[in-house]
Amino acid sequence: MSKDNKHKAAPMVDEVSEFEILELAVRELAIEKGLFTQDDHNAWTEYMHTLGPVPAARLVAKAWLDPEYKKLCIEDGPKASLEVGIDWVNQMPTKFGTPSDYCNLRVMADTPTLKHVVVCTLCSCYPRPILGQSPEWYRTPNYRRRLVRWPRQVLGEFGLQLSEDVEVRVMDSNQKTRYIVMPERPEGTDGWTEDQLTEIVTRDCLIGVALPKPGKTTNDPRPIRKALKPYSH
Amino acid sequence: MSKPHYDLEHHAKKATGIGDPQCFKGEAGPAKFKVGDRVRVRDISDLFYTRTPTYTRGLEATVVRLVYETPPAEDEAWDNTDNVEWMYSVLFKQTDIWPEYSDTFSNDTLETEIPEHGLELA
Repeated sequence: MSKDNKHKAAPMVDEVSEFEILELAVRELAIEKGLFTQDDHNAWTEYMHTLGPVPAARLVAKAWLDPEYKKLCIEDGPKASLEVGIDWVNQMPTKFGTPSDYCNLRVMADTPTLKHVVVCTLCSCYPRPILGQSPEWYRTPNYRRRLVRWPRQVLGEFGLQLSEDVEVRVMDSNQKTRYIVMPERPEGTDGWTEDQLTEIVTRDCLIGVALPKPGKTTNDPRPIRKALKPYSH
Repeated sequence: MSKPHYDLEHHAKKATGIGDPQCFKGEAGPAKFKVGDRVRVRDISDLFYTRTPTYTRGLEATVVRLVYETPPAEDEAWDNTDNVEWMYSVLFKQTDIWPEYSDTFSNDTLETEIPEHGLELA
């Protein structure tokens, strides 16, 4: 090992955005005013870092194996979440949710002739307690404004071509309900265990922009297409 | 004049351990619409705050679910939780919303939630 500190840890981010500076400033003012403490903030950040899409994937896998549980998922999302270890109310450090993490979940079950896909046109509401942080593309104005109006074209860009006998239903989560999609169980998974099924229910499947496939356990990379006429200052 | 006392934690106190919107359950009274009703989204003022998308204004839809009871976002934005209403999940036909939506895909739909005061019977 060299002694000149060549192997410093890489910085976490290349650049701090204006919004991050704004968040920091507002947070510090709020702490100074006593609206919440630094400990509250730490508890919340740590909680957010424990979240991910696995519980939602397990919920779908369980529902594929158990028709009674599937009914419960459709009827009462928060109650069904308890069985995969997610308590929408009491696991949050606040114990009641926040203005962007309300405690209502609906599980939208696809059928052979119905395909759900989720968007929040107004901001980027996302079922974070059960699905973790939203992917970057989900928050972009591009996805949010185009999915409601040209859903088939946008799904096509994700590699999902649907025939006209399939009804595409866009779920715009504009109020207090958060949605996850329960896709159809794919062919070629007969006799699979819950663990095996959980692996193929990816985050993209749960948002509705992909379909589960045996052997496929990761989200596709999102291609970044260069603008034809880039905007320059 | 002394400053009026305002409890910043009134919502937290009400919702802790119960959840929001669950904490408003039973406060809205009887629902005005039922599942299957044809309704129209009222094109009412959104001067201060709303969560009713502009693209749904004035359009007809079908009620598919009475989802929960809550003060509407228009009030809650100002921390007014006095008027609890039913929230309805309503289903639009895509061809009703977007003029250029292809008839080939006339089965396609869009579902979103509208508070009771934002709807009228069609």
